Amino acid sequence: MEELLDIINSRKSIRRYKTDPVPDAMVDKILEAARWAPTGENYQPWRFIVVRDQETRNRIGDLARLGSGSRMTAWYCMGHMQERFAGIKDEAKRAEVLRFMYSGEVSEFAKQSPVVIAVIGTLREGSVDVPYDLSAAIENMLLEAHSLGLGGCWVHGPVASTRDARKFKEILGIPTGMGDYKVIAYVSIGWAAEMRKYPRPKKALDELVYWERFGNKERPHHG
Amino acid sequence: MDSNTYFNQLLYRMEEVFYHELSDCASWKTELVGTDFIQAQDIRGANEDEIVMACIRNIKAAGLAEDIEYSITGRGILLKLKIKGCALMHKEVLLRNSGIKPYSCPITNMILDQLIEKLGYCTTYVAELAVPEEPVAGPCQVKAAIYATPEKIGAVSDWSQQ
Repeated sequence: MEELLDIINSRKSIRRYKTDPVPDAMVDKILEAARWAPTGENYQPWRFIVVRDQETRNRIGDLARLGSGSRMTAWYCMGHMQERFAGIKDEAKRAEVLRFMYSGEVSEFAKQSPVVIAVIGTLREGSVDVPYDLSAAIENMLLEAHSLGLGGCWVHGPVASTRDARKFKEILGIPTGMGDYKVIAYVSIGWAAEMRKYPRPKKALDELVYWERFGNKERPHHG
Repeated sequence: MDSNTYFNQLLYRMEEVFYHELSDCASWKTELVGTDFIQAQDIRGANEDEIVMACIRNIKAAGLAEDIEYSITGRGILLKLKIKGCALMHKEVLLRNSGIKPYSCPITNMILDQLIEKLGYCTTYVAELAVPEEPVAGPCQVKAAIYATPEKIGAVSDWSQQ
């Protein structure tokens, strides 16, 4: 299992892509990984829409830019973004990062990633905990993409608000009724054009784990 | 128990469980709550002032709030609302008493909805919903971003100075 852990802890969210195409065989493997995710009652509510069309990806990218930009502009105006990125000491660099965020450009990359896979879940058939099933499928997709040498990113921005989720459905021809399909995110896939810092800071396990009962940090001895 | 108390209790329980499921993202998902009322009104206006004032007139006439003041500043994207005597204040108090910061304001949703529906604003975002600790002490204060066009995204300023 050590090899799997290496794949897990070296995966990064990639937002800049080369224009090189992603072979169908690789896309198929990513979808196959998704198909094997755990799912409540084996309902398998997930459906996937694979998008390569540039015009469609442009529309998704524009929607994502508006979604993220509308929130982050407000967060910047409230002072929240400046606090979040206070760790960047170089003023010019910090200003550019902030502009990249509040302009919404941070979420526009569907336009560049050669493949976008919308992840939706049917609410029409038997289903329990659809968002959790879809999330498990997305994680499988990202890990498989990474294992193939591809970059990927889980993007919730363009479907975060109810109105935007409806617009996203309309772009892809998904029925828009709230009882039809849950759209949870899309996954962008492509060849990475950026090198992310590795490993990124993660909380230590002793900050995250309790033993036997909530709050207990003393690990029992089991020989 | 009067019907207003009853419906506030229902809304409180719905918002409580919704927050438990979605954390802070819950506020983004509830933007249509309240819009059925305002869409059934005959809201007309040629600009944002006329639309906002028409919404306020209808909301007050229906007894949903005693009074609403507004201003638009911050390079035209900051809509500030002061809502006094809201019919839904009880659910906000119940929510806060359960440890959850109030996150969904149907009256704000109504006004933002009409900016989108009647003036074609591209998007909006509720940035802050400040409910007074003691409802009798003052109005709720809302800060919402309103974006008339995509070019308004990124029009930043310091809202603490507005």
